[in-house]
Amino acid sequence: MEEQKLIVDGKRLDGRTPDQLRPIRIESGVLNSADGSAFIEWGGNKILCGVYGPRECIPRHEANPYRALVKCRYSMSPFASLEEHGRSGPSRRSTELSKIISEVFEKVIIAEEFPGTQIDIFIDVLQAEGGSRVASVTAATVALADAGIPMKDMVAGVAVGKAANVVVSDLGKEEDNLGQSDMPIAMAQRTKDILLLQMDGLLTKEEIEKALEMAEKGVNEVNALQIEALVKNYETALTEAKLKL
Amino acid sequence: MRKIILPGEKIADRKVIMEKTFVEGDSTFASVMGMINDEGRFIPLEGVYRPQPGDTVVGLVIGSRHAGFEVDLNLPSTGFISARDTRIRLNVGEMLMARIREASEGGDIDLTEVRRLPKGNIIAFPSAKVPRLIGKKSSMINMIKEQTNSDILVGNNGYVWMGENTDVPRVMNILERITQRAHLSGLTDDIAKALSS
Repeated sequence: MEEQKLIVDGKRLDGRTPDQLRPIRIESGVLNSADGSAFIEWGGNKILCGVYGPRECIPRHEANPYRALVKCRYSMSPFASLEEHGRSGPSRRSTELSKIISEVFEKVIIAEEFPGTQIDIFIDVLQAEGGSRVASVTAATVALADAGIPMKDMVAGVAVGKAANVVVSDLGKEEDNLGQSDMPIAMAQRTKDILLLQMDGLLTKEEIEKALEMAEKGVNEVNALQIEALVKNYETALTEAKLKL
Repeated sequence: MRKIILPGEKIADRKVIMEKTFVEGDSTFASVMGMINDEGRFIPLEGVYRPQPGDTVVGLVIGSRHAGFEVDLNLPSTGFISARDTRIRLNVGEMLMARIREASEGGDIDLTEVRRLPKGNIIAFPSAKVPRLIGKKSSMINMIKEQTNSDILVGNNGYVWMGENTDVPRVMNILERITQRAHLSGLTDDIAKALSS
């Protein structure tokens, strides 16, 4: 596909405007045996996240006597996507993503409350369509809140970038692969601290400024959905209770 | 229903020391999901149990050594009963109720006032919702015990012991209902209705 065709008459391949996000649906508390869990559908991404802990740190010699370790395991299913992403099991990519996601949550979890323990975040990508790392961070935040692990902030993510010389928000698979630049960002909601920022391709200083602005807007939208997903469980109980009375 | 507070949400413009909150600058923020009650206190809805001296816990003996016994308390670290401290000889697999004498920062939990429990079952209940399961002056738990005609003991750690004569599925149903509706007012009435139906 030629680069220029990525955007036609100001509309993107899937008909979105440059700053429009794909449809997002988040659900919390979907797994019975995990301490906290979440499922996110973000465009074509389908990601399941389970959180355990704090629990005994294994191996023991890794335990930090001052704080809990945050361990993340990101993995893609064999059927998650075409090409090399679809390889299951540890790979260069999954090791990288596990590392950056655990670093995001090390910053917001109040780990000092649980010395000598570990908190596990398991992320399974069932289907991927670009922007799976930010969707994973978004889902993991919901799962952590569902597990009752104390956090200083909620984290939401969105990818911004450049396709066909236009700065766009929430890149889909084609824009990610054929566009000029891709910059996933995860932001703490209250402080607006940037907890994750990577970049493929090139952006000028002005474009980055514009992209960051767009990211903040996108992150706010995503956070509203996270809150909705978490509160929904409690509201469902309320409606059920009312119907019974 | 009161508004649900989310992690990182501001709950006071001054410094207040409350459970599951943190202070940053001159404000207090929630660190887990919760609600604010009439007295302005933060009531956590989710949360991980942190052992406090004086708490009553239910546990399962998982290890027996010369120095004492190791007890599973549904926590990252196990509880310990010093053999010097108790005359009761415990066996692995036995259930007990005890009081926390000391809980160190490193995770060592010292138990005392040990009471052996007869045969039964232990299930895990969300520890943040234990106060609702017990109720004001134990009203809720006493009602469940009377109505289902069973022996139930609740530990602050979230472990619930049920005696052998308990109608386990029925009690589990009630516990599930309490978990789902712990944030609603009129819970005792709701459970009373569920028990009588």
